[in-house]
Amino acid sequence: MSPLDRIANVSILKQHEVDKLYKVESKPAVSSSEQLCFLVRPRIKNMRYIANLVNADKLAGRTRKYKVIFSPQKFYACEMVLEEEGIYGDVSCDEWAFSLLPLDVDLLSMELPEFFRDYFLEGDQRWINTVAQALHLLSTLYGPFPNCYGIGRCAKMSYELWRKLEDEEDGETKGRRPEIGHIFLLDRDMDFVTALCSQVVYEGLVDDTFRIKCGSVDFGPEVTSSDKSLKVLLNAEDKVFNEIRNEHFSNVFGFLSQKARNLQAQYDRRRGMDIKQMKNFVSQELKGLKQEHRLLSLHIGACESIMKKKTKQDFQELIKTEHALLEGFNIRESTSYIEEHIDRQVSPIESLRLMCLLSITENGLIPKDYRSLKTQYLQSYGPEHLLTFSNLRRAGLLTEQAPGDTLTAVESKVSKLVTDKAAGKITDAFSSLAKRSNFRAISKKLNLIPRVDGEYDLKVPRDMAYVFSGAYVPLSCRIIEQVLERRSWQGLDEVVRLLNCSELAFTDMTKEDKASSESLRLILVVFLGGCTFSEISALRFLGREKGYRFIFLTTAVTNSARLMEAMSEVKA
Amino acid sequence: MGHRKYELYSMDWDLKEELRDCLVAAAPYGGPIALLRNPWRKEKAASVRPVLEIYSASGMPLASLLWKSGPVVSLGWSAEEELLCVQEDGVVLVYGLHGDFRRHFSMGNEVLQNRVLDARIFHTEFGSGVAILTGAHRFTLSANVGDLKLRRMPEVPGLQSAPSCWTTLCQDRVAHILLAVGPDLYLLDHAACSSVTPPGLAPGVSSFLQMAVSFTYRHLALFTDTGYIWMGTASLKEKLCEFNCNIRAPPKQMVWCSRPRSKERAVVVAWERRLMVVGDAPESIQFVLDEDSYLVPELDGVRIFSRSTHEFLHEVPVASEEIFKIASMAPGALLLEAQKEYEKESQKADEYLREIQELGQLTQAVQQCIEAAGHEHRPDMQKSLLRAASFGKCFLDRFPPDSFVRMCQDLRVLNAVRDYHIGIPLTYSQYKQLTIQVLLDRLVLRRLYPLAIQICEYLRLPEVQGVSRILAHWACYKVQQKDVSDEDVARAINQKLGDTPGVSYSDIAARAYGCGRTELAIKLLEYEPRSGEQVPLLLKMKRSKLALSKAIESGDTDLVFTVLLHLKNELNRGDFFMTLRNQPMALSLYRQFCKYQELETLKDLYNQDDNHQELGSFHIRASYAAEERIEGRVAALQTAADAFYKAKNEFAAKATEDQMRLLRLQRRLEDELGGRFLDLSLHDTVTTLILGGHNKRAEQLARDFRIPDKRLWWLKLTALADLEDWEELEKFSKSKKSPIGYLPFVEICMKQHNKYEAKKYTSRVGPEQKVKALLLVGDVAQAADVAIEHRNEAELSLVLSHCTGATDGATADKIQRARAQAQKK
Repeated sequence: MSPLDRIANVSILKQHEVDKLYKVESKPAVSSSEQLCFLVRPRIKNMRYIANLVNADKLAGRTRKYKVIFSPQKFYACEMVLEEEGIYGDVSCDEWAFSLLPLDVDLLSMELPEFFRDYFLEGDQRWINTVAQALHLLSTLYGPFPNCYGIGRCAKMSYELWRKLEDEEDGETKGRRPEIGHIFLLDRDMDFVTALCSQVVYEGLVDDTFRIKCGSVDFGPEVTSSDKSLKVLLNAEDKVFNEIRNEHFSNVFGFLSQKARNLQAQYDRRRGMDIKQMKNFVSQELKGLKQEHRLLSLHIGACESIMKKKTKQDFQELIKTEHALLEGFNIRESTSYIEEHIDRQVSPIESLRLMCLLSITENGLIPKDYRSLKTQYLQSYGPEHLLTFSNLRRAGLLTEQAPGDTLTAVESKVSKLVTDKAAGKITDAFSSLAKRSNFRAISKKLNLIPRVDGEYDLKVPRDMAYVFSGAYVPLSCRIIEQVLERRSWQGLDEVVRLLNCSELAFTDMTKEDKASSESLRLILVVFLGGCTFSEISALRFLGREKGYRFIFLTTAVTNSARLMEAMSEVKA
Repeated sequence: MGHRKYELYSMDWDLKEELRDCLVAAAPYGGPIALLRNPWRKEKAASVRPVLEIYSASGMPLASLLWKSGPVVSLGWSAEEELLCVQEDGVVLVYGLHGDFRRHFSMGNEVLQNRVLDARIFHTEFGSGVAILTGAHRFTLSANVGDLKLRRMPEVPGLQSAPSCWTTLCQDRVAHILLAVGPDLYLLDHAACSSVTPPGLAPGVSSFLQMAVSFTYRHLALFTDTGYIWMGTASLKEKLCEFNCNIRAPPKQMVWCSRPRSKERAVVVAWERRLMVVGDAPESIQFVLDEDSYLVPELDGVRIFSRSTHEFLHEVPVASEEIFKIASMAPGALLLEAQKEYEKESQKADEYLREIQELGQLTQAVQQCIEAAGHEHRPDMQKSLLRAASFGKCFLDRFPPDSFVRMCQDLRVLNAVRDYHIGIPLTYSQYKQLTIQVLLDRLVLRRLYPLAIQICEYLRLPEVQGVSRILAHWACYKVQQKDVSDEDVARAINQKLGDTPGVSYSDIAARAYGCGRTELAIKLLEYEPRSGEQVPLLLKMKRSKLALSKAIESGDTDLVFTVLLHLKNELNRGDFFMTLRNQPMALSLYRQFCKYQELETLKDLYNQDDNHQELGSFHIRASYAAEERIEGRVAALQTAADAFYKAKNEFAAKATEDQMRLLRLQRRLEDELGGRFLDLSLHDTVTTLILGGHNKRAEQLARDFRIPDKRLWWLKLTALADLEDWEELEKFSKSKKSPIGYLPFVEICMKQHNKYEAKKYTSRVGPEQKVKALLLVGDVAQAADVAIEHRNEAELSLVLSHCTGATDGATADKIQRARAQAQKK
């Protein structure tokens, strides 16, 4: 499902005399319509597509009307390309300032999956303005944000730009009672580890297995147990889903079978009913029960399908390795496991993910492993991934441990550059060196690996670690928890330093405290570069424990596979 | 008919010329007066250059300049108080209030060729227009000089001489021309010329001497050679009245004099020494003119100025008439009287008041006094009327105070601008029509900034509309003062403006740049808080590098890109790249652009930075995208490898060289064996060879590329199982000791559902994996034995979890027993 489907689906568009819908891709659209309308992100690639199409029409002597609608905004560079391709005069341009799509009661998405690659790999800051605009929109709707926190360069820039917007249009939000008490902005590169882990809560697992797109999933025939695929919206309105989405997968099956028994019992009630009761039952309850029945069988189907897939690749082994990496023991064994993974060509994305996880948790690979794993990978999956490795290194996802001394000199040089405001983000070869992940030290400081005495009861979670089977508290969520508890970064100096963010963690509180206690329970968390369903589940859990209510704003919902794909170079 | 005339100012403007020798133009709404002695009319030598003089309505000199351009036919003021001087050659010169030249435009070639015979400046709702009568007796007009569109009007058939009189009309938002030729009247619109006849025109007219349109274009008056005046609607559909003055001499001027919404119709006709007000009454009102005078039509009356005085003639407003009529018993009149008596401490005050109250007319009386105060020119009269209103208010329970307060405020503003030094003699009605915003604009135009600000503050106008706007205007004026240094101007402006909301420093800076003061503009831009706003002007001033850092500061990538493209065109390539090099944010933005649009530039960028790593990646990418031929691809890879060596990235260089070798080899394989090999990974290449039965080639390749043993074993194992070549697989398993153990053999056979083959390998599986292998082939009993032998708790539970129901009951028991035994020990 695309964002457009969520707003205006095909039938609505048809009612408005849209003849046919095409995807903007390399294939040309064959249409006899007199008018073509392009709804595109402002990207040069899209402009080339449009230009090719228009120029082909010109060659064929065809005239038609062309309209280009840029969302969320038009970029000068795009107009330039249209002009260079000689079609600027043939098309008319428009903007659709669409920035926020509510996917669920607590989830807003900007539907900008490209944000991650653009910003964290290419150093392209084009979307920062869009983020600031989205925040501005929210503050005009819900009043000013009395307490703001954030960490990361992008978070800081977005926040400053948003403040500027507020100042320029002052008066609008002033004097309004704030409805959202806290806002927290977080860059994805603060915590790659969490995003790289296999997800084991139901919603995350569904996303990893079937890919949730725009809050909707395509369940194939193996799930629906019919010959058709089915598009299913996954949100709080799906009563069955809502109860299991945040559960650890090991509980889901039990829950569903209990639910099935209850349902059966409700059906069974109709035995021994008289006619009047039966009439009541049919008219009032049956529909609801049937609906529930349908959903139940879908999710049971999904569970079965997941189990099949996950056991096939020896999911247990994989999870064990991940946990070993997180905890930092048996590194040699894990490395061999990854190597075997590559040798067996299990999956290019999975292999890459494990390599990155190893690199980040270990502060980079030791040179020997760095070389051999890459060599193995190239042999298995093709030499073009040499570029992928160059990307990963630049983004700091897969790096080589460097000897201590020589680094510090470079580091200090780079960090000086980084703190220069006008310099923006450094994207040269040094940048990855500036970002030592320091995961082990952070993990210790923030107590990310819980001490387990006996079995961790996943049915009754005791902390956010439950989203990773009790083995690891998501770093991003822990940071948020700690800052909210302290209402500032105070006492977290060491963590901030380890995150390489000494200049980039900020707190901003308005003095006049007009916020009601109710609004102070409401927290908007902004993930720049995407967040995973596991993080959402973890924070939902934290919210229930501490009496907060979290709302999530993300550039897009992501997972390990999406992150890796964003970094991969595929042959054209 | 009630008309009255009062003095606005006594003029001491020290005129050197007689008015009659000058071209005169006075702007409506109490606007400025322009005089240009007309030396071209008389056949005098043009040796003396005429002087163009501009005065305020009170006669204060505003400007005086020597006229150096061509002969002028007509002067007129635009709605924005710009002076339009129509030259004989059809060129219109535009001057500001202070005699500053603004611009010029031409009324077209036709006009240039035939010369201008006569011209009028007129006002419509779109702005100010110019109508021209050429020497060829044709009309050309433009309805809005701000947006010049020339329209040549149709020809009047058989017109041999100039019309005796003409005027512009404005009907249905279109400008027309009405002209008189002998006894005939013609109406020109842009399509046609039609002959028109005023209804009820007295007979015997052989020519029209003068015509006048009212201020609002609603009414028309015609003066004929019989001394007869016809008054009617401008549409010529209806006659309102007529008057015979029995003077056959052509009047010098004729203008309408009526109040908006009044039923009375009157025109003022002026001859050399006589002024006559005529209307729908048998008698006219006559005034003697002592000196040369000039009439200025206004919305609600007529201004008359001469060498020594400036007067206003208008129809007495109803409220004033009611109050001041002799022996008036109107409530307002009684209230005024009552108040006067009250001041004298006379009991009569009570009597008057009682009289009004008995009639229940006190509210009306107060309203009348307030209204009448507005129409009085003299402050003492305003005061006494307002005092009466205030007095009357005391006896009313609920009289809303706004109308009184507002009138007091309005009069204060009016008295201030009417002051001799300011010289804008607006009436109350004109002021209301003009609006306070326009009045403020006009004060700004006269550079009366302090007064304008005082008025804003007094009326408590919102800052953005009021004080800030005026300060911004002031600042724009200030930057034009060339005798003051840049530093001083910038400081003065910042001191006064500070952070006043609504003031745009970039606008002021743009003005400074317009005056050629680039340095000042840059200084002013420093005060602009929104960096995005600074960029366009900096670009215009060719300060592109500064613009670039401002754009980056603004965080708006779009803006940054705009500047980049500017820079690209402005600088040579080397300088452009150097600039980019110091701005990483801009650099990455530009790289993104180049990646899709200018690949070659991207390469140059990397080259200039000696960024060999990226250069290598660039060539690798090129080897996939651009090149089709193997040779080309290999060449691209070679370049990439060289770059990687330079980047000291030996790994990438070696990998690239391997890739070159592989490509060449794949090409050879395709030639020799057929099938697809190109672009397969090394692993897949070997697999394909094995699947195709080319085991020798496969092994050769594995050796050549030093494929590690482990991989090779996995690879072969998978490929052979896929082929279901069990014999070969078994041979392979025995070729030497497996580096990956034998569990994979079991797994892979089971994956192909071949339990028989799988069992062959279980015995060879190492002890630590044995249980797993046995379980895989479904031999639970033996698995249990092994687990018990190992005394391994984890293995025991694993086996136990595989025990199903009845079949494995015995095994399960066995395990339980073993466990119990283990615990005992």
